[in-house]
Amino acid sequence: MDVLNPMTYDAEEDQLRDRTKYSQMDKHLIPVEFQQQPVSTGTTIVAVEYDGGVIIGADTRTSSGTFVMNRFTDKLTQLTDRIFCLRSGSAADTQAIAQVVTYQLDFLSAEMNEPPLVRIAANCVRRMIYQYRDDFLAGMIVAGWDKKLGGQVYSCPLGGLLVRQPVTLGGSGSTYIWGYLDNNYRPNMTQQECYDFVLKGITLAITRDGSSGGCARIAIINKDGVERIDVLGNDLPKVFDL
Amino acid sequence: MGDDILSYNGGVALAMKGKECVAIACDKRYGVQNRTIATNFTKIFQYSDHCFVAFCGLATDVQTVSERLKFRTNLYELREQRKLKPVVLYNMLTNLLYERRFGPYFVFALVVGLDPKTGETYVYDSDNIGAVSDNVNLATVGTASEYIFGLGELFFKPNMNSDELFEATSQALLNGVDRDSASGWGAVVYVIEKDKVTVRELKGRQD
Repeated sequence: MDVLNPMTYDAEEDQLRDRTKYSQMDKHLIPVEFQQQPVSTGTTIVAVEYDGGVIIGADTRTSSGTFVMNRFTDKLTQLTDRIFCLRSGSAADTQAIAQVVTYQLDFLSAEMNEPPLVRIAANCVRRMIYQYRDDFLAGMIVAGWDKKLGGQVYSCPLGGLLVRQPVTLGGSGSTYIWGYLDNNYRPNMTQQECYDFVLKGITLAITRDGSSGGCARIAIINKDGVERIDVLGNDLPKVFDL
Repeated sequence: MGDDILSYNGGVALAMKGKECVAIACDKRYGVQNRTIATNFTKIFQYSDHCFVAFCGLATDVQTVSERLKFRTNLYELREQRKLKPVVLYNMLTNLLYERRFGPYFVFALVVGLDPKTGETYVYDSDNIGAVSDNVNLATVGTASEYIFGLGELFFKPNMNSDELFEATSQALLNGVDRDSASGWGAVVYVIEKDKVTVRELKGRQD
């Protein structure tokens, strides 16, 4: 540590910190043939606001390296009655965050005697990601409906940012569909148009991204409740045959 | 996907024996780590009327080794004035690979063949430095080979006819690649019999 200039990046300390982490010790202790790749929800996640609610969607693949551990994962995790989070990144990290935040919101709703706001939920997620930003690999989207502001989508990517967006994408598969979003998203779409937009986007990403695959799980959240739709492989929309 | 060179491009191939027929199948994906670039990259090449080879591994080596082997087999047919037999093809291939023992090509190979007169069937596999195998009932290579082996052993029965063989091979391949993110996106199956070779393209899951 440089005492005179404490803001300098110290490579030695960084390496020492990495080497003494339990999760890194496996690399030095276990023979290479037995080392498992971390389980990641490779993923494509999409969330879009419409008048009256939000529509969220994700693919269903969890992989460990190239091995597909789960072909029908549920990446749409319910935090409260009307608030969901979409998980991308390390499966363990995002599951842990979702669990903790669910508890925090449950406690909060008992204290306030009303359902928590979507922004509060997103802030809880963001706070965890920011606090452990050097350790977590978690990119999450928090979306839902509340009485105050209606349907909202908040993006909480890797470093611990919180930003509200009318439409957002996440996960490794999202890189393939930003262009599709720019071309096809319009503000004030109807519920059916948003649904088609989300489903098509996920299908396009599944086709191109190796870490995304399986089926598409979609949820429509509005004041009346949550409607979950699973679109299986055969029923995905047809895209150009490469 | 890590820095494993054999899963950089991905891909898988399977070969199975029947009664006086053999089948060889491969997926059609061409990708670079996570990204799928094309779905028309077949890994099976024909070297004689009834001799086929599948190469899986680094895509550049799939192309190079298949072309270099073609060069040698062309010269063989010109010099010997006769068609290649499967055993000869297999030995040429393993010799080609072993020449590069200490700077190898990154492809694993499957050789299948049929003798049209006697109906004898041949299925061999080879690692990337030319290790020879016995004439086996079932062989797989590629990133999803472990998953396909399990299914192949399940579906294999001795002395299958060509239709049963096609079903067993395609089901083993299509369901095995569902567990691998570096293979899939369609498949092609060759069924080789004494009098004909049938090629079928399968659609499969595009994920």
